[in-house]
Amino acid sequence: MKIFSITTSVLALSVGTAAMADGHASKDSVLETYANIAAANYGDSLISAQKLQTAIGVLLANPSAEALEAAKSAWLAARVPYQQTEVFRFGNAIVDDWEGKVNAWPLDEGLIDYVNTSYGGPTDENEAAALNVIANASFTLSGEVVDASQITPALLEDTLQEADGVEANVATGYHAIEFLLWGQDLNGHEAGVGNRPWTDYAIGDACTNGNCDRRGAYLKAATELLISDLEWITGQWADGGDARAAVLADEDAGIAAILTGMGSLSYGETAGERMRLGVMLNDPEEEHSCFADNTHNDHYYNGVGIQSVYLGSYTRIDGTVVDGPSVSDLVSATDAGLDAEMRSKLAAAVLALGKIKTAAEAGFSYDMMLERGNAAGEALIMGGVAGLIDQTRSIERVVAALGTSINVEGSDSLDDPEAVFQ
Amino acid sequence: MKALLSTVFLLSTSAGFADTPLPGTTVDTHVLPGYETLAAQTAELSLAAATDCSVESPDLVAAYHDAFDAWIAVSHLRFGPSERNDRAFALAFWPDPRSATPKGLAALIADQDTVAANPDEFATVSVALRGFYALEQLLFDSQLTEAGPQEYICQLVRAIANDIAQNASEILLDWKTEYGNLMANPGNATYRTPDEALQQFFTALSTGLEFTAETRLGRPLGTFDRPRPNRAEARRSGRSLRNVIGSLTATKQLAEQLSMNDPKVEEAFNAAIQRATELDDPILAGVASPQERFRIEVLKQDIDNIRRILAEQVGPSLGIAAGFNSLDGD
Repeated sequence: MKIFSITTSVLALSVGTAAMADGHASKDSVLETYANIAAANYGDSLISAQKLQTAIGVLLANPSAEALEAAKSAWLAARVPYQQTEVFRFGNAIVDDWEGKVNAWPLDEGLIDYVNTSYGGPTDENEAAALNVIANASFTLSGEVVDASQITPALLEDTLQEADGVEANVATGYHAIEFLLWGQDLNGHEAGVGNRPWTDYAIGDACTNGNCDRRGAYLKAATELLISDLEWITGQWADGGDARAAVLADEDAGIAAILTGMGSLSYGETAGERMRLGVMLNDPEEEHSCFADNTHNDHYYNGVGIQSVYLGSYTRIDGTVVDGPSVSDLVSATDAGLDAEMRSKLAAAVLALGKIKTAAEAGFSYDMMLERGNAAGEALIMGGVAGLIDQTRSIERVVAALGTSINVEGSDSLDDPEAVFQ
Repeated sequence: MKALLSTVFLLSTSAGFADTPLPGTTVDTHVLPGYETLAAQTAELSLAAATDCSVESPDLVAAYHDAFDAWIAVSHLRFGPSERNDRAFALAFWPDPRSATPKGLAALIADQDTVAANPDEFATVSVALRGFYALEQLLFDSQLTEAGPQEYICQLVRAIANDIAQNASEILLDWKTEYGNLMANPGNATYRTPDEALQQFFTALSTGLEFTAETRLGRPLGTFDRPRPNRAEARRSGRSLRNVIGSLTATKQLAEQLSMNDPKVEEAFNAAIQRATELDDPILAGVASPQERFRIEVLKQDIDNIRRILAEQVGPSLGIAAGFNSLDGD
């Protein structure tokens, strides 16, 4: 896969050179770069998830404190490429329909495993909020008895994920695995992450909190699913893949997809849903990675991904670079001033998100920033929000300058008036 | 499967005719009157709470409804002054899928948190504990308010009402002293051209309708097999349908201005408003009954029809399309 992706990128470079021969990037060549970056970025996500799977395999075969820490490190590393891929979500229907399997959030973690009593039980919104599949080999869900004696990828994917039509029932993906490695973060606004003991995976009498074998089976199944899902999406962006073909099929729609992804991730998703909401609610559970306290990196690498797509240059996890003709080149040919504005806004947003990361890594963790009345924390986070909102305005100007449009995500009923009657 | 709305092309050139709507007119006839009413009604609400903070006070309940109506009439204008200091979120935090409002209020009441005693400090609490939806819980959920001493509930009611009025007056002040001018006289860093100001209004209009269709109606509708009547907006105070009608009426005014009174637009809004009025189902409880549910689905379709006319006809004729909005995320 790795060799294949690098070949693709070298090919793209030569195509890119030809496309730039007259001094202007063609839309086709820009889309080629975009698809190459997507293939490499999802490929990197897969490679790093495979390393995570290896580390989890060691943990389950020979449980120890060291093995748990190694698995956590591998999870954190795996998030670096994945978060950069989120810029491919909005605008590419194939990605958007798929991504909930791997990155759904926030979750009612009591669905999966034991939780502290402060978590509460079933809620008005979610009857399965405290189901605890790991402790229960059989249970009732939406009125039907479920046999969960074997915890398999199929059980997670087909029965538990979004059970009872509730989005907070997240049974698969990075955040389910995060919970299984870290456990609940019970430190509130104080420093500290989830503190799951390694003995939650111990064999025999050393097992803590019960059902260590079923917990291990859950972790194994969730990791297998993550790998198969990432394999699938990487294939979608390879030569001959459907996501690549969809982007390349229509020049203008393809450029629109790039800009839609950049703007939607900047504004509605990261600045709004993930960052601003947490500040406004002062709620540490609104953190994107609330168990591992990795939220500063989630936001930062979102920002980096948006910038990479515009500049047409992605640095892989092995340091190699995938690049080629870019949206920046297209804008520059039309309105050099606007291209300079867009580049500076993107750089400013990455810098503002970097300040959150810097402070968090120095010990001022993201959940501390969210505390009521913590003015410095609020200012740091809102600096990132402001940067993302500011760049969204420039993205809208780029949309206008290129004479294209954004593909507004619509509901089924809006797209297909008959759908509600089916 | 989520599909994509058909692409709407953003023309690079403006129509440029004299009959293009003027953003300044919309500021003067739609935005400012709306926020003036909100500031006046919320001041009344704060006064009513100061006079009698009992959750059973008829004057207080009446003032709550009037002020909430005034908010709904501007609730689609989510940009500029309403977004500074999270004012709009602090006025109206909903939907609340994780029950942050009832949980947080219960915690405040259990602790008798002194934050309610100080107006400046109260503005630092979670937005889920401020605004109309928090006040609704106090006024209409006796289980919550019986859990604490009446003096504390009273203090909390007053703090929330005061905070609502404060927020509303700040939004109005910003519009009057600064932001209205930015939109009425484009050529500044925020709005470089009249088209950018019009696009802002067009985005607000589209987003407001999307919110009414997908959230106000879509959340309680759920699916046919799993309707969610308990998710209806402000159902405790019986306002779910009233908010739908109020929002449609307000967005109709904005749409008429942006479309230069296009009869198709007016007709589409009238159909939706009439259907909503005929529903006679204040809390949209009908989502759970197969017969009634159908009528609510048709109302949602009426609103989707308005959205389609705006996106496919009105926007292109103005040379603009909706920009990114806050609902673009998950």
